[in-house]
Order: sequence, then C-alpha cells, then structure tokens
Amino acid sequence: MARVAREPATSRTRPRRVAAWGEQHAWGLVASLRRLGGRPLGTLLTVTVMGFALALPLTFALLLGNLQRLGTALGQTQAISVFMKVDGHAADAKALADSLRDRKEVAAVDVRTPKQGMAELATMQGFSDALKSLDYNPLPYVVVIRPVAHIDAGEAAKLIAWLRTQPGVDQVQDDGAWRQRLDALLAVGTRAVLLLAVLLAIAALLVVGNSVRLDIQGRSDEIGVLRLVGASPSFVRRPYLYAGLWYGLAGGVVATVLTLLLEWALSAPVARLAASYGGRLDFGGLPWALLALVPVLAAALGWLGARLVCARQLRRPE
Amino acid sequence: MIRFDQVSKRYATGQEALSGLSFQVEPGEMVFVTGHSGAGKSTLLKLLAMIERPTRGTVTVDGRNLSTARAGSIPRLRRKLGMVFQDHRLLMDRSVFANVALPLVIAGIAPAERARRVRAALEKVGLLSYEKQAPAMLSTGEQQRVGIARAIVAKPPLIIADEPTGNLDPQLAAEIMGLFDALQNVGTTVLVASHDLMLIKRTRKRVLVLDHGRLVDDVPATEVRS
Repeated sequence: MARVAREPATSRTRPRRVAAWGEQHAWGLVASLRRLGGRPLGTLLTVTVMGFALALPLTFALLLGNLQRLGTALGQTQAISVFMKVDGHAADAKALADSLRDRKEVAAVDVRTPKQGMAELATMQGFSDALKSLDYNPLPYVVVIRPVAHIDAGEAAKLIAWLRTQPGVDQVQDDGAWRQRLDALLAVGTRAVLLLAVLLAIAALLVVGNSVRLDIQGRSDEIGVLRLVGASPSFVRRPYLYAGLWYGLAGGVVATVLTLLLEWALSAPVARLAASYGGRLDFGGLPWALLALVPVLAAALGWLGARLVCARQLRRPE
Repeated sequence: MIRFDQVSKRYATGQEALSGLSFQVEPGEMVFVTGHSGAGKSTLLKLLAMIERPTRGTVTVDGRNLSTARAGSIPRLRRKLGMVFQDHRLLMDRSVFANVALPLVIAGIAPAERARRVRAALEKVGLLSYEKQAPAMLSTGEQQRVGIARAIVAKPPLIIADEPTGNLDPQLAAEIMGLFDALQNVGTTVLVASHDLMLIKRTRKRVLVLDHGRLVDDVPATEVRS
C-alpha cells in the first residue's frame, strides 16, 4: 500500500495517556462552562430553583433542632409531684423523700406538708373564703421531685413507675409529660424532614436533568460533529456531566447561603422567645459540617441527574 | 483501501438505497462518486462513515470489515477517516484553531504537537493567519477550507467528502479540488461525492456513476474528457 509515512495517532506511553485524559477533561470542562454561559437565564433559573428546593428541608431541620434545644432547656424546670394518701402518715412521705435523695436521676426533693399546701392555697384569690368553711385540712403530703436536667424519657418513666409502687403513694403527676409528647412530635418532625429532603432531592435531580436535556437538544449539531470525528461516547457526554455538576454545586451553594441568611434572621426572635420562658437559650445553627456537605451532595445529585439524562438522550446514534 | 462487495442497503421505510454495489478503490487513489440526487451517493458515504450499516454485503476499509465492527469500536475507526461536509459542520462557538484541533484532542495528542499539526493543516489550506478567528467571521469558502483542515489534521489514510463544493462558486470549487488533489499526491485516498459534472470533468479523476442504487458506470481517469 502506497501510503504516506504517518506519525502515530496516539502515543501509547503512560504519562501521555494520563495527560491526554486530563486534556480531554479540560475540554469537557470548558465546553460545559460555555453551555451554562450560553443560556445565562436558564442557568440562573435552574440554580435558583435547585437552591430553594434544597434550602427548604435545611430550614425545617434548623427549626426542628432549635425546638429540640428549647424543649431540653425548659425541661430543666419541670418537676414530678407525688401526692401521698390523704390519710397517710408523715413518716411515709419522709421515708420516700430520703430514699429519693439517694437516686442519681434526682436533683432535688422537697416535702410539702398539708399545712404548707393550705397556706399556698390561701394566698390564691377566691380560695381563702372557701377554705375558712372547712373544719379540717383535706390536703395530702406532697413530695416534689426535680429530676436531673439530662434525664431521658425512659429513666423518667422508670422513676414514675417505681414511685407508684411505694407505700402511701396515691398519685404521681409528671409535669414533664409534655416533654415526652414534644420528643415524640420531634421524632415525627425529623422523619418528615428526611422524607421531604428525599422528595426535594428528587425534584432537584429532575430540574437538573431537564436543563441538561435542553442543553443536549440545543447542541445536537455539535454532538453529531463530535461523533463523526471519532469522539468516544464518554467524550461526547463529558460536557453535560460537568454541566450537571456545576448546576448542582451552584444550587447547593445557594441553598447554604439561604439557610445561613435564615439562621441569622431567626436567631434574635428565638432568643427572645426562650427568654420569655425563663430559659437561657442561644440559637443553634446547623452544624458547619452539614452546611459544607450540602454543596458537595448537591453537586453529586446534579451529576447523577445529568448522567441519567445522557443515558437516555445520547443513547441513539445520529 | 475501500472495497464494496455486493452491498445493498434497504432503509426501514422500505426504500432500497443501494443494491448489489461492488467496487474497489486503491490506496492513494482519488475517486468521484456521482449521480442524480437519490442515486445512493449519501448512503454510500454513510456506510463508509459507519452512520449506517449495509443490509447485505460487506464494506471493507483499510482491510477491516466495517459490517462486523462492534458499536464500541466505531469511534476509533472514525478517527482513521477524515470527513468533509457540504455544510462544513464547524463548531461555531470555537475558534478556527480549536475546530481544527478537535480530532487531535480526541486522539490524545500532546498540546505542543497538536499546535504544530494544526498550524501545518491550516497552512495547507491557506488559512494560517485565521487561527484565532471565529468560523462565523469567515466566508463560505474559507469555512469549507477549515473543515478540510479538520479532516486532514490527524492524517487519516482516507478522506471522504460529501458535496464539498456544493455551496461554492466555480473558482472556489476548483481551489478546493486542488487541495484534494494535493492530498492524493501524498498518498491519501480521497473519495468525493459530487453532482457537479463540470468540476468532475475538469478534475480528471476516476468517476463512479450511481443510478437508483446501482453502479452504472466506472470511468477511469484517463477517459474523463473535459
């Protein structure tokens, strides 16, 4: 064959292969930025929609976290009241109080005599006259227990169950029961936020996917040229995968910035709310690790969205 | 270099674009394929470019049977083929240099070597001073020459051109043909589909005449009269 002496089409050395890989990625990267820059309004819309979609579950997580802190802070002031039998002996109440003082989950114990109770009632308006007509004291001994601040629901329940079995005990009233309900409510909220995050992540995936689909459709000529000059499928696909990555990354940054703005806007009112309950509470932001992770996860999400669309849109040959 | 052996192509629509086509092109030969529109010129080129596969028969290029090539090996096979289109198909948002460099980026050629080869190709088509320009700033003839530079930059053994002078006036068309002729002189096989009979007669190369998907004439270069 009378062919011209040709230089090798590709040098097969390892460093060249690695460098070529880098150069081809650079080509795809530049091409992807051209795509985003080519439709600035579309790019802006995609990034904003994605940012808002991701900021929503983050905001809920922020509120939930602070509600949890609020609950913990207020829980410190809550007590368990043990009402002894009306005809019981003072000794029962004293014995109970003594045994309670030894328990580690108890911070303080206070015994209130029927007399003290009567005095307390007498100071309340409307009661004093009614009390005068009584010729005996109907109030029982009351043992007021303040649990330690970090007591969990299980320990509290165990303590209450134990109290109910003690001699001379008539009723146990847990003023902290609302906290358990709050905890249950917060568990529901946490689950809801997770589900919402999954749904909105899927929405973000679709938004990026749709943008990449439009990019691909707008570039069908270029894709045809690339294929005809011998570009591999991954070379053809690369600009769109990078585009998906950029959409995701930018959307994630927008979501993080939005969340930080919300944190800043909410911190003062929440602190005031906590102060009105007598609790001292600093507004707690989302952990920095999570905020830093959001753009990374969003970028991965964008890449995945682009990948899925490419698999469909670039499947058939020209 | 190219061998068609009893090649037929029937499209899904039922249209028989080629029937029982057989011919051979030697390495370093330059051949025109002509015929009225619908004669099968485009289909012939599509088979060579592996855009379509034959329904029957075998197409062999450079000793390789394209009919049995796996889909995954098509990009690699296309890198051994330079293609020139009637509408030049340049990337309009890239510079002339970037357009011509594209096949070399895909082939993984180092940047310094790439720049050298791109300039050599641009010099061959007389556009060396245009490398930084956007294709849209060039005339149709110049755009076509950029397209040719892109087709030859990776030095493929075979160049195929689809109506490369379709949009050009006779003067420019003759210049383009001169470029193909020069390529053929350095050993590259060139196959040009064209219905420009005046041009074909003047260029004096072998001519394959298609009609309704059949080869009706094969005129050697020596018998082409202007």
